[in-house]
Amino acid sequence: MGYSLCSCVHYIPRFVLTCFLCLLQDSPLMSIIKEVGLPKQPHPLRGEDPRDLSERVLPPRSTSPVIGSPPVRAVPIGTPPKQPMSLNHQIHHPTAVHVRAPLQHRYPPPFPDRLSPNTLLNLANNPMCRGPFPPGVGPVLSQLQRAQMLNSQVRFPRGVGPPPMLPGGGGFRPFFGGPPPPPHHRMPPPPLHGPPIYHTTHLHPQHRRMLTQRMQSRPMGYAGVGLDRRSRDPYSNLMTQREKEWVAKIQMMQLQSTDPYLDDYYYQNYYEKLEKRQERERDSSKKEHTTRLITPQVAKVEHTYRPVQFAGSLGKLTVSSVNNPRKMIDAVVTSRSDDEEKREKQVWNKRRQILYTVEKMYSSLLEVQDFEKRFVHAAEEERGALLERHKTHTETLCTLLTHTEQAGRVSDEQCVTIMSVRKGKRLISRLLPFLPAQQAAAVVMAIARNLPALAKKDKQDQVLCWLVEPVAVVIQSLSSAALTDLLQEIQGREGNLASVLQNKLGVTLLYLVLSEGDRMQSSDPNCQLMDDNRWTELVFSVARELLAAPSSTLAPPLFTPPNLLGLFARYVDRQSLEQLQEKLQ
Amino acid sequence: MNYVPGTASLIDDIDKKHLVLLRDGRTLIGFLRSIDQFANLVFHQTVERIHVGKKFGDIPRGIFIVRGENVVLLGEMDMDKPCDAVLQQVSIEEILEEQRLQQQAKQETEKVKMQVLKDRGLSIPKADNLDEY
Repeated sequence: MGYSLCSCVHYIPRFVLTCFLCLLQDSPLMSIIKEVGLPKQPHPLRGEDPRDLSERVLPPRSTSPVIGSPPVRAVPIGTPPKQPMSLNHQIHHPTAVHVRAPLQHRYPPPFPDRLSPNTLLNLANNPMCRGPFPPGVGPVLSQLQRAQMLNSQVRFPRGVGPPPMLPGGGGFRPFFGGPPPPPHHRMPPPPLHGPPIYHTTHLHPQHRRMLTQRMQSRPMGYAGVGLDRRSRDPYSNLMTQREKEWVAKIQMMQLQSTDPYLDDYYYQNYYEKLEKRQERERDSSKKEHTTRLITPQVAKVEHTYRPVQFAGSLGKLTVSSVNNPRKMIDAVVTSRSDDEEKREKQVWNKRRQILYTVEKMYSSLLEVQDFEKRFVHAAEEERGALLERHKTHTETLCTLLTHTEQAGRVSDEQCVTIMSVRKGKRLISRLLPFLPAQQAAAVVMAIARNLPALAKKDKQDQVLCWLVEPVAVVIQSLSSAALTDLLQEIQGREGNLASVLQNKLGVTLLYLVLSEGDRMQSSDPNCQLMDDNRWTELVFSVARELLAAPSSTLAPPLFTPPNLLGLFARYVDRQSLEQLQEKLQ
Repeated sequence: MNYVPGTASLIDDIDKKHLVLLRDGRTLIGFLRSIDQFANLVFHQTVERIHVGKKFGDIPRGIFIVRGENVVLLGEMDMDKPCDAVLQQVSIEEILEEQRLQQQAKQETEKVKMQVLKDRGLSIPKADNLDEY
């Protein structure tokens, strides 16, 4: 009972209430009021101000601070700002009625973490809103009339005007009755000089410099023309200044970030690159221009929810509120046993499983790729921990890739299944540089071994060529024995080089391997390439196949290494060499 | 005057004439009167412009409220540039007729194409089966 009275008091200004109570000393109404509580007074402006949305407030909820339900908001978070009258009201009677459960471990953040746009506006506009009118009086103008007033008052070439201020003077009189007041009656708020730079400390200092330069250099004549046109438009300024600021504040709130590298990756990278470029171009004497990035203002506050505990009681309360929702429905997945549908679904399920594996690997891969950047930025103590994490991530990648069915036997089945999906191929191409040498070699072998199958599956995607670059790097680091093995794998078991030659990747790989072998031979005198006859035999068979294959079926490689002809010159005669030369072109 | 410097904001576009392309393919032209944080737009004196070839027709629509997620493109229109330089304005009935004919022709070509592909045993898979992005 007393609680509802308090809530009513919240909405009605106190002096009005006391006046009312004084007047009704002896009335029979008094007894009823004392018993039941005052009825809620209808807001005086309801009829005249249809946009006053925050009056549609929910009835006071029963919120117990002990249970931990969130604080009641007088207005829902999404509502646009009210008129200046109620703004004053909100300042004088802040919504501090709710008492939260004491959380001693929580330190007040430097910048309040859950600001609503309305409170932001209050904070910003507080000094500006002590207007000429006393509290409790609101504007009687409708939205359109206010817009019209603004239109007729727009005269100077500055940007959009300050919040609408009614003409001063003792009483309050409707505007459109009298003549338009001369411009000097307006009270432009003092802090607004030229283009304001708002609370954008999270901007990179370089960025801010560029912005101020841009704003200063922008010719003001353009703004004048636009304003002239706008002044003739009777419908302009339907959106008030305060509403514009409100939207702007919401947008700025969205920019607050605790992890800028996660939220704003491209912005951060762009400015880092710019900085580096400028460092390179400028000499060391002008070092003061390069500044470091300002860390964001918002501190990362850990909100750990602890369920409510009463002291000295047995067990815990299981009350569900917004902060700890309770499971209401136990959803169980039951699959239908229609046979044909099952088969079709199995195919899709397999595909989905592959995609799921690829996604898991991607998350590890991204961590591995970002490791270097984080390492540079991390403090000394953290580097050890980072290194450990890096190692575990790489290991996860390796295990996911090999996925040994039986202990000891490494199968490249997993690798091939991953590559049956377009995303998987991209993943492998990005992954290869980060794998340890042995594993990378194994992957390349797997690719070579299954080249015909891969080529067939790739017909729709045509993205196998992504693999060329990383594979080339791996090839260059292979030993001679491994190289020979690789060449053998490319040739395939029955020597079906023909199908390999029809595929772009196959041809490119083949050329790469051959050229690497040649380079090895010519540069390193101790090379064991020629120790057994395998290499020579393989090159012979390759040459034979190349000669036999008609030029039309030969796929053009991505690039032809220059030393191939030299290699072949050692093995074949002149005539064949010329033919080969044609084919290689 | 940019309220939020360093970012893109629609606040500077208020009360200017804009052209918006919606997700369903409609083109609306009107004065942008109000926005909110979701980029929901309020257009005033809106006109729906239908383009067929070099002709276009305007259908006056009044006040439009567009939900932000349905906007593809939004751009300010230059009031000084004349729009009849290349394009020719026609009446509403005519442009609707032209549009109907265009849709019909498109459907016919699509049908023929599918038939030809079917005869050769090929099929162009639907877009949602292709990419896993």
